[in-house]
Amino acid sequence: MNRVLNLAAFNIRVLLSDPTWFFLSWALFALQLAVYGSLMSKLIGSNLPNYFFFYSIGLMIIVVFESAEDVGRHFVENAHEGELPYFLTLPISRSGFLVSQAMYGVANTLLKVAPPLLAVLFLSENLTVPGTLFALLALFLLGLGITGIMVSLSFIAFKAVDIYLAVLAGLSALLVRFSTVFYPLAVMPNYYSPISVLSPLTYGADLTRWFLGFDPKYLLNPVLAAVVVTAIAVSTLSLSARIVDKIIEGVKVA
Amino acid sequence: MAVLISLSLSDMLVTALVLGRMISPEYFSFLVPGIVTVGLFTAATDTGRRIWLALREGVVQYYMTLPIRTSGLVVAYIISGGLGGVVYSSALLIIASFAVHPQNIFNAILLVPFMFVLATGLAGLAAFFASISRRGEIYWVYAQALQVSLITISTVFYSAKTIAQYLPGPIATIADYNPLSLAATALRESVFSGQLLNTVVLSNLLETSLPLAALGALAYWVILRTLRLRGKP
Repeated sequence: MNRVLNLAAFNIRVLLSDPTWFFLSWALFALQLAVYGSLMSKLIGSNLPNYFFFYSIGLMIIVVFESAEDVGRHFVENAHEGELPYFLTLPISRSGFLVSQAMYGVANTLLKVAPPLLAVLFLSENLTVPGTLFALLALFLLGLGITGIMVSLSFIAFKAVDIYLAVLAGLSALLVRFSTVFYPLAVMPNYYSPISVLSPLTYGADLTRWFLGFDPKYLLNPVLAAVVVTAIAVSTLSLSARIVDKIIEGVKVA
Repeated sequence: MAVLISLSLSDMLVTALVLGRMISPEYFSFLVPGIVTVGLFTAATDTGRRIWLALREGVVQYYMTLPIRTSGLVVAYIISGGLGGVVYSSALLIIASFAVHPQNIFNAILLVPFMFVLATGLAGLAAFFASISRRGEIYWVYAQALQVSLITISTVFYSAKTIAQYLPGPIATIADYNPLSLAATALRESVFSGQLLNTVVLSNLLETSLPLAALGALAYWVILRTLRLRGKP
């Protein structure tokens, strides 16, 4: 366990050595909220009360999603740069290696999402300790699930990086557009709703909003959302553990 | 190309459609030309990624052994960005015309050279950031900041009137002179509303795009020249 923590700490130190990404992430979050969020909430008006708050949570889901994508890219980048074979020679189990990657991902996600979350909750006067903790838990579980998907997809990069990047871009577009990240299920056309319930972001977004006290009539059942988010985190991490265990040996990124 | 098209299509057929239901049916027609403009932006700024990769992977060293002058290499990159933007946005415009009926197709053809100039300007801006990105992944920091700020502070998603009504004056002015706003306005007015081409908008488009193209070309030329003289950027 000590070795796993050492490896995770090493990765996190590398992450913290360049804080530009964090400042940029927070600054862009603030810009989008101040301009896009405020103007769209004026345009939408009473058709969806408090759209500004709805959108701010959606934007946090995007930050979580992008952080999880980062972990996948980091994994592929390690393979591309030749660091992955080195990590595999370390006296650490494959599952321990995956746990260290997951810890790196969690640190990356929490550092990017916690300050905006606290700022939004403080400004909207919704800041409560239980709400914040449960919202962070929901975002953490969602982040783990998406990380699992991204690491599982990395086997594509072992065949061709370009195809991996294309799949990632296409998948991201579909998962975000066909979800309740920026609009609730209630306003979606009937023919899009069945696709929307297949996106893990739908459950993560609605669960976080429910914890933060958004009007439940626009959200999915929170119990269902919690079960799905947890199930996705467990299943995709198990899948990625299997991939790391069986497929990764001896591969190199094309 | 297929991925880019699918991204823009999902913006048009999902995001615009749902936002149209939340705001008003007219909002869909308003947003579609904006999405075409964002598509042009995405395709043109891919030039920055290609330059960054060429510098990072050392492919640029190979380019410099080719029987072509440094300035020729620079112009080729900027023009390829411009052409990429025009080809991609034209394809999107054709697809968009099935969703929103264009009122004046002739104006769309007249706008192509202006879109080309805009795309070279955006390619130049991306080339500038790629050229000044000296360490690791910093190019992606610039690229993301460029994309979010240019698209957010523009009239792609909301009208100039809405911005002026709710946000401070300087932000409204930036949005007015943002090349993406000018292109979106030109498409909305001339192609989808059938009005005459607005020469003020078009001249503003040229005035904002050409300096960006020149800036990018200069930055890339300087980096290539340094590479030729010193052997490293």
